[in-house]
Amino acid sequence: MTFKWIEKPSTRRNFLKGAGGVSAAVLTGFPMPALSQSSEVTIISDENNADALQILRRIAADFEKQSGTKVVINNMDHEAHKTAIRNYLVAGAPDVCFWFSGNRMRAFVNRGLFDDISDLFEKEKYKDVLGATTGAVTVDGKQYGLPTGGTMWGMFYRKDVFAEHGLTVPATWDEFLAYGQKSKAAGLIPVSIGTKELWPAAGWFDQMNLRINGLDKHFALMNGKMAYTDPALKPVFDHWEELIRQGFFTPDQTSFGWQEAGAFLAQKKAGMMNLGAFVKATFPEQDLEQLTFAPFPKIDAALDRYEEFSVNSVHIPANAKNKAGAREFLAFFYQPENFGPYLEPGGNVPPRNDLPASKDPLVNAAVESLKTVAGTSQYYDRDTDPDMAQAGLVGFQEFMAKPERRDAILQRLEGTRRRIFKI
Amino acid sequence: MTKLWRRHRWWLTPTLLILPAAVLFSVVILASAVESLWISLHEWDGFSPMVWIGLGNYRELFADPQFYVSLKNNLIWLVMFMLAPPLGLAIALLVSQKIRGMRLLKSLFFIPLVLASVAVGVVFTWVYTPEFGLLALIFRTFGATAPAVLSDENFVTFAVVIAALWPQIAFCMVLYLAGLNNLSEDLIGAGRVDGARGWNMLRHIVLPQLTQVTFIAIAVTVVGALRSFDMVSVMTSGGPFGSSEVLAYQMFEQSIFSYRFGYGAAIASVLFVIMAVFIAWYLTRMIRADERGG
Repeated sequence: MTFKWIEKPSTRRNFLKGAGGVSAAVLTGFPMPALSQSSEVTIISDENNADALQILRRIAADFEKQSGTKVVINNMDHEAHKTAIRNYLVAGAPDVCFWFSGNRMRAFVNRGLFDDISDLFEKEKYKDVLGATTGAVTVDGKQYGLPTGGTMWGMFYRKDVFAEHGLTVPATWDEFLAYGQKSKAAGLIPVSIGTKELWPAAGWFDQMNLRINGLDKHFALMNGKMAYTDPALKPVFDHWEELIRQGFFTPDQTSFGWQEAGAFLAQKKAGMMNLGAFVKATFPEQDLEQLTFAPFPKIDAALDRYEEFSVNSVHIPANAKNKAGAREFLAFFYQPENFGPYLEPGGNVPPRNDLPASKDPLVNAAVESLKTVAGTSQYYDRDTDPDMAQAGLVGFQEFMAKPERRDAILQRLEGTRRRIFKI
Repeated sequence: MTKLWRRHRWWLTPTLLILPAAVLFSVVILASAVESLWISLHEWDGFSPMVWIGLGNYRELFADPQFYVSLKNNLIWLVMFMLAPPLGLAIALLVSQKIRGMRLLKSLFFIPLVLASVAVGVVFTWVYTPEFGLLALIFRTFGATAPAVLSDENFVTFAVVIAALWPQIAFCMVLYLAGLNNLSEDLIGAGRVDGARGWNMLRHIVLPQLTQVTFIAIAVTVVGALRSFDMVSVMTSGGPFGSSEVLAYQMFEQSIFSYRFGYGAAIASVLFVIMAVFIAWYLTRMIRADERGG
C-alpha cells in the first residue's frame, strides 16, 4: 500500500544508513536488490466516492497480504483523469487503470493502448457470470477490460412528493404532458435539470431519440452514419420543444450543475429528474427511502424499450510493466466478496449476476428493470466520437435555452459530423 | 588560459551570466511556441500520428462563429479590465490617507489578492446563483427578480469580468501603493509652495511620478485580460453554449475536450500574435519613455 512509510516511525539515522547503503551500492556497482517491478502493481483510479475508495484500498491491502505483491493506488479526480489517461497510457502506464467501457474503451483499443485480457476471461469464466455485459468490453471478439459498476438512467422522483400532490408516474407521452400541467399547478418544476456541465441535456436527447427512433437509428447517429439534419430527428426536437415551451424544465438551467438540480428534487421543489442513481448524493440520509425511479415515458408505443445503461470498467494498459501481477490483482478484485462491497457505496448496478442482492433498493430496482430492456445505449458522450460529443453537448444546451435556434444548431452539428466522420 | 580568459572576458562574462536564463527561456517559451506553431499546421488528436493539413486549421478557425464570439469576449475583457488601473489608483490614494482605521481598510482591499482566483470564481458563482445567490437575495429585498446573469448570453461575460476585476483592482492598488511610497517629498513640498492642491496636485505632481507604475499596471492588466481562462473555466465553463468563451478557453476546450490539438494550437497562435503585437507596441513605448526620461 501507499503511504505506509509515512506512518512508520523512522529515525534520521535509519534514513542515513539506508541512503548511505544505497549510494555505496550504486558506487560499487553492487547489484541492487530488485525493488522489483515484478512484485509491484500500480493502479490509477478515478474514484470520487470516498467509501468506495476506502474499500478499494482495503482490497489492495488484502491482496498485498495474500500475494506479497505491493499495490500502489493513485487516485485522481474523476474529471482530471479523463484527460490524464491519454497522457499516461502512452508515456507512463500503470498496471491497472479505471475507465469506461463501450466507445470510450474502443478508442484506446483501436490505438493498441489496452491489453487484450481474453485469457483472463477464459481462465476465470467471466462470460458465465457477466452475460450480455461482456459485450460492453468486447472489440472484435476479444475482451479488453472488466465491467465494474453500471449506471441505469431513469426518471427519479420522491414518493412523498408524488403522494402529497396526487401525481402519478407518467407512462406515455400524453400522461407526461398531463403530469407536467399537474405538477406546475402544484407549484413544482416538472423536470429538474441543470445543464451547466452540459451532459444532462444530451441525456435528455438520448432518451427521446431512443423512444422515438429506437436503438439502431440512435446508434447510426452516434456512429456518424446519420445526419443531424435527417428528418427522422424532427419529431425528437418537436417533442422536446413542446416540453420547453410548456415550461417543463428548471428555468435558467444553464446556471445549475446536476448537483444543484438534484437539490431541487431533494428539497421538493421539482417533481422528477432524469439521472442515474448517483442523484442520491444530493439527498439527505433520512430522505433516501423516498427516492425512486421510473423509466422514461413511452412515446412511440410500437417501439421496444431501450434504456441508457453506462458501464464503467477497469483495464490493463498495453504498456503496463507488470501484466501478470495486474491480472492476478484483477482476478482478486473481481471476486464477489471483494467486488460486491466495492460497488455498494456508489449505488452502481453490478455487472456480475452472482453477487448477493444489494442493500440499496434502487440498485435492486435497476437490476429488475434491466431484465425487461430490449437493448441499451451508454450515454451520448460515451457513445459518439468525443469531438462530436463536445459539439453536441453544447448544441443541446443551446437548444434547451433557445429552441428557436434549432435549425442553426442542427446545421452546425451536421457540419461538425461531416468534418469528424470525413463525409 | 588566464590570458585567454582576460582577452575574452568582456564578452564571456555577460554571456555566461545570461546563458541559464536564455537556455530556460528558449526551451520553455521559444521552443514550445515554435512547436505549437508547427502543431497548428496539422490535424492531431494528441497521440495518433500528426497529419499535415497546412493552413486548414486557420481556414476553419476564421470561418468558425465561435472564434468571433471568443474574440469579442476577449475585447470585452480588455476594455473592462482597463478600469482596474484607475480604480486601483483611486483606492490606493484613499487608503494611503493618514486616517484612523485605514490600515484595516487597506488589508480588506488586499484580501482578494490573497485568494486563489478559483476561489474568487466560485464565490462569485454563488453570488450570481439565481434564487439562492446573494444577488438574488438583494434583488428580492427590493421586490425584483435578479437576472440569471450566468445564463444570459449577453450578460455572462460582463458578470465573469466583474468577478475577475476584483483581484485585479487589488493588484493595481498594491502597485500604486508602492509607487505612492516612493513619491519625492521635495517635489510635493515645492508644489505645495506653488499653491497646488487637490486635483492639480494629483494631475501635475503625483501622476507624472507614477508613470512607470502605470505602465506596469496597464501591461499586467492587458496580459491578464488576454490570458483570462481560470475564471471562465470555474464560473461558466465557457457557457451558456460557448457565449462566455475567450480564446484561451476555446483553445483549452478544443484541445482537451475535443482532442483537437492542431486546432487548439491554431487558436493559441492567433492569441500569440495578438499578444505579440501588444507587447511590441508596449516595449517601444517603454523604450521611448526611458530615452526621454534619460
